[in-house]
Amino acid sequence: MSLADLLAPETSTVLTLVVYALAGAVGLVGMLARRTALRRAACWLAVAAFACQTLLLALGAHASHPDGLTLGAYLQMLAWFVLLCGLGLWARFRQDAPLIFAALLGLILFLMSTPWLDDAVPLPPSLRGPFFALHIGALFLSLGLLALAFAAGALFLFLERRIKSKQRMAGIWQDMPALAVLDKINAICALTAFPLYTLGIVAGLFWARPVFGGTLTGDPKQVVSLLVWLLLAVLFHNRLASGWKGRKPARLAVFIFLLSVFSLVVVNVFMETQHAFLRG
Amino acid sequence: MRHDIVLVGLNHRTAGVDVRERFALAEHCQPDTWAVPPAEALSEALILSTCNRVELLGVGADSASVRDHLLRSWACARHAEPEDLAPFLYEYKGNEAVRHLFAVASSLDSMVLGEPQILGQLKQAYRRSVESRATGVILNRLLHKAFSVAKRVRTETAVAANAVSISYAAVELARRIFGDMPKHRALLVGAGEMAELAAMHLLQAGIDEIVVVNRTRERAVELARRFHGRAASFEELPARIADADIVITSTGSPEPIIRARDLRAVLKTRKNRPMFFIDIAVPRDIDPDVNGLDNVYLYDIDDLREVVEENLAGRREEAAKAGAILDEEVALFSGWLESLESQPTVVELVRRGERVAEEELARTLKRLGPLDENQRAAITAMAHAIAHKLNHAPIMFLKEDGMAREGAPARVNLVRRVFALDAPPGRHGRGA
Repeated sequence: MSLADLLAPETSTVLTLVVYALAGAVGLVGMLARRTALRRAACWLAVAAFACQTLLLALGAHASHPDGLTLGAYLQMLAWFVLLCGLGLWARFRQDAPLIFAALLGLILFLMSTPWLDDAVPLPPSLRGPFFALHIGALFLSLGLLALAFAAGALFLFLERRIKSKQRMAGIWQDMPALAVLDKINAICALTAFPLYTLGIVAGLFWARPVFGGTLTGDPKQVVSLLVWLLLAVLFHNRLASGWKGRKPARLAVFIFLLSVFSLVVVNVFMETQHAFLRG
Repeated sequence: MRHDIVLVGLNHRTAGVDVRERFALAEHCQPDTWAVPPAEALSEALILSTCNRVELLGVGADSASVRDHLLRSWACARHAEPEDLAPFLYEYKGNEAVRHLFAVASSLDSMVLGEPQILGQLKQAYRRSVESRATGVILNRLLHKAFSVAKRVRTETAVAANAVSISYAAVELARRIFGDMPKHRALLVGAGEMAELAAMHLLQAGIDEIVVVNRTRERAVELARRFHGRAASFEELPARIADADIVITSTGSPEPIIRARDLRAVLKTRKNRPMFFIDIAVPRDIDPDVNGLDNVYLYDIDDLREVVEENLAGRREEAAKAGAILDEEVALFSGWLESLESQPTVVELVRRGERVAEEELARTLKRLGPLDENQRAAITAMAHAIAHKLNHAPIMFLKEDGMAREGAPARVNLVRRVFALDAPPGRHGRGA
């Protein structure tokens, strides 16, 4: 198999998908069967999945459609950023649950990407440049962080309710991180996501002026993204200034991520927008 | 040779503490004080004597003689008669004895299901039996098997998971809330046995500091010294609460001393850092409304008792799962023991085959006349190969661990009769 064959969208996707699937499956079994060794193995498999995708990207897997971007490549890049954030948290907190969640989410994104590997939306040369890279890079990184803030927040809300209502921690819940750790993960993710999201939005606005003829064009994606930014600003401010901890920021982080998913899935795919990936 | 395993003993379920004290053998399991003297009836022995159980394990050719010898030795060591022991005794033989030992090692027979001490005590008992030269092939194998079964039960079931004491349950909850203990502080308000135990567990878990508040200053100072912490007066309570992450209350106050309205301001100064209140007092020291506040968790004595009950129920469920592991391991051990019983017959069978091969070979070689070295070697090899191949099936039959319908003794008898292993030498002659 030549390098070009290896880097073809289908081959590189299958290769990476297999490692993602291994990490996700081993992690899930490790969680359900409560086996520490399997969970640890899943974390290293997630490292392998990240390394595999990074290597393929570095070799040029992303360049299969030099004139445009496919929805498939877009989702796979998102998976890469989610895993990057998961690895960052794993290195910081040594908790396997967020990384296993990141691997599973990455796997879902990869599976979603498979039907959309070839339909590239052509990008005019004016759209290629540092602002575009900054726009996509910063927003994807913040989305990855928001995904993990969501996971930590949702888990916090669930476990907190059990502790408050004095229910027994049985089965897999016994292996979950402590409430304080989940709150810290949520805080770090949300506090890092906000400046990155701001950077992404600002880069997008700069970039929109020459391309779409104005900064604020009323595009549905732009509207939802500004709403997400506003909510993130509220979360950022209250975490830092008002000392928000626990339930409130967890709920808001969960809501912000769900809104982002709505923006990603519904707006990008089904609505008439400048960010559309599927054009007939 | 038969190897009957017998276990006699009494424990917290069959005997009160006075009886357990009277028949304890803790002083009689050292090499120089060993309670079970060697005897023809008994080839191996082990004594396990803890505060909750005294058990003697013996191996010999006849279970009744082993039992009698164990009981006589036990009674004699405690200046009593075997009859004095009888009302409190349980006895197990063969696989039942093995299963009981595995259950004891795995802490499935303990007063507190899943407690870890018993395995250490059994290991020590085994060490002393070895030092007293009382163990042999069977007990060495059995005890090592018991240790590995205990490990298997512990890793494959959750029989030792979750706290089963109120004070430890509180610490486990604190871990679920805060994670690492070393960065957190505890406040002990009032004193009581359970509150002090909880504080002690927190200290063992590595809590950063314990501050003790008590209406009696001297008592506070004394407790603070014990927990390597600080003492504070009751008037300082509001300020001390603001500093603490975990608050254990156990005062005799008829009214709640901490209410939700007092805590709202405290939480603000703490920037909403979570707080865990453990109220062990009756009547309660902390208003139940406190649990409704964000980032505040309150458990009173009944909540903790419920946690412990649920944990115990969880352990009981897990103990049922452990039963299957025990059955499997007992079957494996029993197979090994049976193979040990059939070993002499296997050896005899092989020797007999070789002897017959040699006899027939001598006769045949005599008839054939002069042969060269290669021909001789080929015929010799053939004769031995035929003997080995004919022996293969009966040997496999003897070694069928738990697979055959018959037990090991029946199989051994059958093979010995079919191959006339017990017949006088003359009958093995030609064509045997």
